[in-house]
Amino acid sequence: MMRPFRSISYSLVLTYMVLTLGAIAVIYPFFFMVNNSFKTGREIIHSPTALPSEVTLIGYTGVFDELDVLLLFKNSMILAVSITLLNTLLSALAGYAFAKIPFPGRDRIFGFMLLTMMIPGVLFLIPSYVFIYNLGWVGHYQALIIPSAVSVFNIFLVRQFMSGIPDELVEAARIDGAGDPTIFLRVILPLARPALATVAILTFMGSWNDFFGPLLYLNQPEHWTLQLGLLQFRGTVPGENSEQIWALTTLITLPIVVVYFFIQEQFVKAFANVSLSK
Amino acid sequence: MTALVDQQARSAAAAPSLFLRMRRSRWGYVFVSPWVVLYLFFGLYPLILSFYLTFFNYSFVTPEDRTFVGIGNWVDGSTDPLFWKSLFNIVINQSTFILLKNGLGLLIAALLFRITWGARLFRTIYFLPVITSTVVLMTIGDNLASPGGPAQKILIDAGIISGPAFWKSDDTLPMIIIAFINTWKWFGISTIILLAGMYGIDPRLYEAAVVDGAQGRQLFRFITLPMLRPQLFFLLVVDIINGLQMFTEVFSIGFNIYGGINHQALTPVLYLYAQAFDRSNVGYASTLGLLLAFLIAALTVLQFKFVRSEID
Repeated sequence: MMRPFRSISYSLVLTYMVLTLGAIAVIYPFFFMVNNSFKTGREIIHSPTALPSEVTLIGYTGVFDELDVLLLFKNSMILAVSITLLNTLLSALAGYAFAKIPFPGRDRIFGFMLLTMMIPGVLFLIPSYVFIYNLGWVGHYQALIIPSAVSVFNIFLVRQFMSGIPDELVEAARIDGAGDPTIFLRVILPLARPALATVAILTFMGSWNDFFGPLLYLNQPEHWTLQLGLLQFRGTVPGENSEQIWALTTLITLPIVVVYFFIQEQFVKAFANVSLSK
Repeated sequence: MTALVDQQARSAAAAPSLFLRMRRSRWGYVFVSPWVVLYLFFGLYPLILSFYLTFFNYSFVTPEDRTFVGIGNWVDGSTDPLFWKSLFNIVINQSTFILLKNGLGLLIAALLFRITWGARLFRTIYFLPVITSTVVLMTIGDNLASPGGPAQKILIDAGIISGPAFWKSDDTLPMIIIAFINTWKWFGISTIILLAGMYGIDPRLYEAAVVDGAQGRQLFRFITLPMLRPQLFFLLVVDIINGLQMFTEVFSIGFNIYGGINHQALTPVLYLYAQAFDRSNVGYASTLGLLLAFLIAALTVLQFKFVRSEID
């Protein structure tokens, strides 16, 4: 009778050991970053893994002197917030139409939309740039915001979720004389909050962390985002000031990590939803 | 013609006319119109433009000087040794990455599935790199893996390597090391998707198998793994589509847009970026984009054909 009990607890201990080792390996690079942000560049070169002999903030003060961090932060914010708001609103509208309004031609448009999801994004890279360049948008935020205002993927995600809302709710509102805009605002929008949270989280994260888009379209330093600023800055910092790089990476990572810890359940669900909707 | 009139008359008798139905559901058109309009301009038009561009020698700076080159770009693209080199690199990188990331994701998911206490904390930690930006992670990874950096110090102390390795100038190591850093970033997604899959498996399957005398590893091999096929398939499809388009990782770990002196870290997207924005060969870059897109589409179709059919 004792044997199964003992073998279970052995394997459980092993399970926790492996999980803990894994967690340390995942966390360590972040620790490395934050730890070095409180050292001097000289100390980082000589003993990169040691704890700071003396905690210093020169990395943080230095990077604010060298770089307009607040401007980069503001630029990243402008882009991420506007792209997120537009995507949430537009995918909610389109998702509702595809899920609940039986307009003639709907299934054809939806089918076509799914087909466009299969086209790899790399194909659009050059021709989109040519088009946006010819519009004269290069160097302006609209070059990044307008083309990403709504994504097929987000519409699909919302539509799948809204299809699960009972038709009777929509029909009942219709019999009461409500039009589609009212039904959308009063009935559907409150019920679709989990799906819209998923869209908002994924879109914000994607846009906040995006590097390629800003690299392509924002050629003036006063428009640069945090990601772009970091890469450009990294190339100009001499080795003895490397603490500034670690201060900057810590500052970039902090906001999203803070948000993550508050709504991590939604974060994780957002990614799980993506696979379940398929 | 008469058939059409007939049909219209019949449908009008049976149901409200098309016009009436369209009017009644007019909000449907209004609500999908933002996507339709945006797609026409930023999807369909570039799509047509990309085919058109492939037949020209075209530069952003002097678009009026474009010359028609027929299928010249297609011939050059499919025989360009650098393009092939970039494909070779990305295949090495992605096969390493996909194997490591999903293997590790599966292992961690299987372990997390067995525990309840602390599972949330572990999941939170494993998911941290997923939400962090690629540029930041590559900056950290670059420093950890650098000659004299902590990762190499551990390997030297363990006797695995004899001295500092200048891996960035090696022929294949950059792609492998980027795959390792990317595994760190992305395995959390595999973990939660596979974990969700595991919770979806009917517990009665395990009970029945235990009655038949199956044990731990056998349960995993004959029940868990086969039942996770839809999730593994999804991960594979998405990984291949995304992975072949890698750019930011290589660029932000410090390689130039040609992937280093020997092009040891050149990826297809890096190469077409270099062609378009450094050499101003826009038509040629567009052709490379199409070639890569065809390749990805072909791989996706193959996966649906061979892997998916096994699931159904």
